[in-house]
Amino acid sequence: MNEELDSQLSAMFDDELAPEQCELLARRLSRDEQLKSRWGRYAVIGAAIRSERGVSLNPPLAGRVSAVILTEPALSGSAAAQGVRRAALRWWQPIAGAAMAAGVAAVSVLWLRAQGPLPGATLSAQRTAHTDAIAPGQGLSYVVPRAPAARAVLVPSTTLANYVVAHSMVSSPVARRNLLSAFMTSESANAASESITAAEEPHDVQANIP
Amino acid sequence: MSADASDLSLVHRVQRGDKGAFDALVLKYQHKLVKLVMRYVRNPAEAEDIAQEAFIKAYRALPQFRGDSAFYTWLYRIAINTAKNAVVSRDRSPIEYELDRSNEESYDMQSRMKDAETPEGLVLTDEIRSTVNAAIDALPEDLRTAIVLRELEGLSYEEIAAAMACPVGTVRSRIFRAREAIDRRLRQVFEGGLGRAEEIG
Repeated sequence: MNEELDSQLSAMFDDELAPEQCELLARRLSRDEQLKSRWGRYAVIGAAIRSERGVSLNPPLAGRVSAVILTEPALSGSAAAQGVRRAALRWWQPIAGAAMAAGVAAVSVLWLRAQGPLPGATLSAQRTAHTDAIAPGQGLSYVVPRAPAARAVLVPSTTLANYVVAHSMVSSPVARRNLLSAFMTSESANAASESITAAEEPHDVQANIP
Repeated sequence: MSADASDLSLVHRVQRGDKGAFDALVLKYQHKLVKLVMRYVRNPAEAEDIAQEAFIKAYRALPQFRGDSAFYTWLYRIAINTAKNAVVSRDRSPIEYELDRSNEESYDMQSRMKDAETPEGLVLTDEIRSTVNAAIDALPEDLRTAIVLRELEGLSYEEIAAAMACPVGTVRSRIFRAREAIDRRLRQVFEGGLGRAEEIG
């Protein structure tokens, strides 16, 4: 056997061979059984020098592993590349997840906006409908309608509703909406008591609408 | 030189479908791995089984190995996990538990009985060890120092060169010649069978 080749094998065993030479020798090592045996004996020499107690210096391990590996499918280039590609993709997966979540949130907001007007606007529309239904002779009075028991939570108290109605002509739409929003929030806590109140008889409120 | 270039070149070959390159990795690390596993299990035969399982797991996982760490570091972690799992599953078995933990004497007996199943293996190990030691004793001083610093102390060629006040190329040559001298005797043991060490010693 070539002495230079053996010398390179010894250096490669110690990780002291240049990478390009390693590539060439690795190819030969994987195919040349004689070279592989020498490589194996270099490992035995090291283990013997280190006096690794209890470790068999002639274990059947390599042969057993080799026999199992022979039954395994070979790792194809594509499989290895796939593994590397999968690993490369791994770092931006959280970013993609966050972007997807943001997209879903944006679509949800747009969908909710498209579904209908805000609670304040609903109330305003109801008020308008009821005002239109008032008889000509009763133009200055406003009747707060009886709230259905099932929707009690969404119905504001009559006092504040009347306040809103009375000032709707003089307050700006934004201020009206803010007031209604704040009111709806505070009302949800007292929903039960309000539902009882709403279920009582309707009462007339004289509203001075300018 | 780049550390781990040797292992990486073999790993890349395995990843491209060359199973023979994996044999070289097993041959290089089998002793180290068995020694490592024996920190968890005291029985050498069991340690070899676990090391075998670790190597096979490593082979199957090699497509995912990217070379971020040294190959042996990666293999080391697989072996540790395999050994820990083996210990846990063995401890779940009541019979093994009795033998392993409750009665140290019975464990030692069990261990000896398993070792006694391969007496030739034990004798061969002793013979290999004595052959290597005899070959080292017979080496010239400079070769002996170089191989011992490399194998026992784990020094790099550069560190050995500094310690021995010689060029790195000389260190490489000395280590190679020392290995060749030891290997000549060792080969006779492997090829000639038991008892050859005494004849050639």
